[in-house]
Amino acid sequence: MARYGMVFDLKRCIGCNACVVGCKQENSLPDGVFFTRTLSQEYGVYPTVNRVYIPTLCNHCEDAPCQKVCPSGATYTRPDGIVMVDPEKCIGCGSCAVACPYDQRTELKAESFKAGLFGTGEVTPFEKQGYVRFTPGMVTKCDFCSGRVDAGLDPACVVTCPTDARIFGDLDDPNSKASRLIRERGGRQPLPEKNTRPKVYYID
Amino acid sequence: MAANPKAVHNSIKPGRWVRSTCKMCLHSCTNLIHVTEDGIINTVEGDPTNPSNRGKLCPKGNSAIMRHYDPNRFKQPLKRTNPEKGPNVDPKWQPISWDEAFDIVAGKLKEALADDPRRIIPSLEDFQKMNIWVWPLAFGNFNFFQSGGTMCGGAYHPVNGYIHSAFAAANDAKYCNFWVNDGTGDGFSSHLHAAAQSYWVANARVDRGMKCVTVEPRLSISGAKSEEWVPIRPATDRHFALSLCHVMVSERWCDFAFLRRDTNAPYLVGPDGYFVRNAAGKVYVWDETVGQAKLWDDPTLGKLALEGSYTVEGKACKPAFQRFRDILAECSPEAMEKITTVPAATVRRLAKQLYDAAEIARDSKIEIDGRILPLRPAAYNYYRGAQGHKLGFQTNHAFKMVNFLLGNIDAPGGHMGVTLDDQWVEHGHIEPGENGMIKPTPHQLGPVPPFSWPPQTFHLMDYFPVGVHPPHLNLEVFMNPEKYGLEFRPDTMVVCHSNPLWAMQGPREKWFEFMRSMKFIVVSDIIPTETTQWADVILPSHDVFESWNMTMIEPPHTEGMCMRQPAVPPLYDTKSEEEIFTELADRLGVLDSYNQVLNFALGFVNKPELMLQPGIRYTDKEIARRKGLLWNGQDLDWYMEHGHAVTERRNDKWYRPWEGLRLHFYIEDMLKQRDDLRAKMDAAGVPYRDTWAWDDYQPLPTTRLDPVHEEPPEYDLYGIFFKDIQLNFGESLSNPWIQDIVYRDPVHIAFMLNPQTAAKKGLKATDILKVESPYGRIYGRLGLSEGWHPDTLGVSNSLSRAKGKLGGVKHAGGHFNDLLPYDLRNTDGVTGQPETVCKLRITRLDDWPQFLKDGGSVYDLVDEIALPGKGRKH
Repeated sequence: MARYGMVFDLKRCIGCNACVVGCKQENSLPDGVFFTRTLSQEYGVYPTVNRVYIPTLCNHCEDAPCQKVCPSGATYTRPDGIVMVDPEKCIGCGSCAVACPYDQRTELKAESFKAGLFGTGEVTPFEKQGYVRFTPGMVTKCDFCSGRVDAGLDPACVVTCPTDARIFGDLDDPNSKASRLIRERGGRQPLPEKNTRPKVYYID
Repeated sequence: MAANPKAVHNSIKPGRWVRSTCKMCLHSCTNLIHVTEDGIINTVEGDPTNPSNRGKLCPKGNSAIMRHYDPNRFKQPLKRTNPEKGPNVDPKWQPISWDEAFDIVAGKLKEALADDPRRIIPSLEDFQKMNIWVWPLAFGNFNFFQSGGTMCGGAYHPVNGYIHSAFAAANDAKYCNFWVNDGTGDGFSSHLHAAAQSYWVANARVDRGMKCVTVEPRLSISGAKSEEWVPIRPATDRHFALSLCHVMVSERWCDFAFLRRDTNAPYLVGPDGYFVRNAAGKVYVWDETVGQAKLWDDPTLGKLALEGSYTVEGKACKPAFQRFRDILAECSPEAMEKITTVPAATVRRLAKQLYDAAEIARDSKIEIDGRILPLRPAAYNYYRGAQGHKLGFQTNHAFKMVNFLLGNIDAPGGHMGVTLDDQWVEHGHIEPGENGMIKPTPHQLGPVPPFSWPPQTFHLMDYFPVGVHPPHLNLEVFMNPEKYGLEFRPDTMVVCHSNPLWAMQGPREKWFEFMRSMKFIVVSDIIPTETTQWADVILPSHDVFESWNMTMIEPPHTEGMCMRQPAVPPLYDTKSEEEIFTELADRLGVLDSYNQVLNFALGFVNKPELMLQPGIRYTDKEIARRKGLLWNGQDLDWYMEHGHAVTERRNDKWYRPWEGLRLHFYIEDMLKQRDDLRAKMDAAGVPYRDTWAWDDYQPLPTTRLDPVHEEPPEYDLYGIFFKDIQLNFGESLSNPWIQDIVYRDPVHIAFMLNPQTAAKKGLKATDILKVESPYGRIYGRLGLSEGWHPDTLGVSNSLSRAKGKLGGVKHAGGHFNDLLPYDLRNTDGVTGQPETVCKLRITRLDDWPQFLKDGGSVYDLVDEIALPGKGRKH
């Protein structure tokens, strides 16, 4: 069984947000909801100044705080390591959002679905076919496009990334590109002091 | 792909995939469109078989579905019932039938055409459908009211036509090891095939260790990803390039062998600036080996002189290279630093880095397809921000000069000419010109009107013999028609996928007057824009998922046709642009003429069996089919299976396609064009000929300052505007997914200034500012960032939209274009390129001006920066 994870190559990321929009498209996300984001941070003082672009998503932690605090058992980890949310079981209590040190949990507010992406009070046919997966009020997040992974495909954000800054793969396979990059370029996990053991690594 | 009936992820739901081409910018990444069993488009992905975008799409390409399902789309032909027109005035649309719409439009156009064809003013901007661009030529109309030409590369394209005989240019990411980007996002965020070029450049950077340097007033994405950001004062990039050239020439860091062999740099130039010729018109060079003048094609030529002064045929003369050296004498990095603010030491270091990286000293070679080619893996790339100035031609030429000295023009790893559309596989773009040089092709977008007095075009294109159309001059002439001798006034406007009221520079209020002077406006588009508000009739067109097309648009490393095909039936009662404009041509009695124009414009004349015949109305599908057949002989069924005919650029056309000819280091044609135009103006007695910008015509770039630097001193800042990949080319902000990323980025919701400058002026972040240029004013809140040149205030293109029915677009307290001039003083006399930088003064206000709060402007407020929780979420 694979153990899926993702590597972000910060040298490659140009902060274009193709991943963010590709994710919205693949997951039919309502306005203001993100399963992945690209943060940017400026550092230094003119003229010695620079900016770094930092993609983020659910880290699919081995020791996921969101799963520990979930009172209904909605949050669970698949055998391949993908941390999932079962919309049937989620009671929308928001404990996971508080527990996640990475701010990767989002409550799906009923108003977002009603207003529609164009704010007209009507949803487009695209939204209509997509929103059936969500229960308003549930707290959700990235699932590494688990359905695509089951079909042998990479997550949508990975496929569309213009610079190949996102590398998805089996962290247990030492020959996967992800494992190789972590090894060769010194992959670092986000907030290691939180002891969540993320399956997401950054290389630069 | 595997379909899963229970899938929650859109791309794996049951459905079918359709191969097509993106149209979220003007370029042509191919894509795969997923249509569910219910006929809903729920995914658009990049096409992995295309060697250009390789399965990738930019954020705009990923958001195409939101354009298709935009509830604001025009759903049937519409007629205005409110006779009052204005930016905030409801047209009170009334749905009408296509028959009625065509009757009205054809009636109005016929009336104008019968009276004076020049009364029609077209604004046809769909760059993927050049067949619509050329529609006015069917009745000999050269008016032009679209922004393509000024806001892209008014000077860029003609200079590429001179140097490469190509439309665009790019560095060769395959082999380049040292990449300078000046005022462009190529390879990072914008311009040529952004998603594709970012991929090539990321691979070069990360896998091959290519070094990048970005020269720009702002820390752009390119700057952030480069090894070095070189902040520069706006509108001084030419001086920076000349200072690099100064160092390279004085340190002998040049590819002299290339200059001698492959360019006209050794050609002898007389005191009048023309080459020294013999009686038969052949140009002289100086043979250093024997110390005498010879003709350029003398078989006994030894080493050609690049420097020195000589006398030939009784004329004092110098090699063209020496003439450039003479100009460079005043371009020391120390002298130029006073203009550019770039430290002299930085310029000297960069010149050495470029020279070393270009591998000139060891004269590196590479074998490609059996040809031994010079390898010159260092190059200077530039685009809109760097080139969009009054002296645009000289500015573009100065950047090319860096590349000339590096010997990298069209060399592996160097600076490449990028053709727009080769039309058929074997079609080469180089033709021999006179005296062993390539034939210059400044008119990359087709024919331009001949000289005429009085002028036959409202934007004075009659007097820009090597230019791209200067549409901003429509306003200059409209304000002063007598001054320019116009004997007609356009009053019938035809618009297709064009939004001049957003894209054109100059104050909106004056453009509104221009629009009010129109007796009739017809617009073909898919969603409401600033311009559709003014229409009398809307002819709604199909969108990209509902129509056919075949196109190739300046891909930097690939070539070949990309097909668009309908993925779904039209959602609404719309028609293809071809059907609309062919119907109109037929009703105007110019169908045969239009078909003949298309035969030339689309290249069908080169395969007579594909030529359009008189009397036949061709559909979008048939035009697409013939373009595909012209490219590679394959019919539509082949394209429907493959989606595209894209391959990597053929090496014989990509690398040194002009082998054996010489390139125009020295553009003597500038003088010919100047003198020819002058003679015609003199003969015709054009009253303003003495004040025409004759000094702009220079065979070599000079250090003359652009007039923007000479504005009154109280305008103490420079203003620039910018885009990132989310806003690249054309309308984006009515798209909710684009809004969701753009308005979360702090640089896109405020006027950006360096904190040092703000402190000096006693300003702090979120202050409300009035920003004034000598031409207009805008309002907004202040944002601070260390990534800005201290002389510069930056305004994102996201702060530019007028209010109205724009589908949730958030509005700005103005539009940067309002701050820009539209006059001849700020227009390149050679190419028509207008200045796109302005001087500014800023004032802090205690509150928003009352008229903005009252809604008494065409702009609403963007006050997002004051809202909590936004900040750096993105």
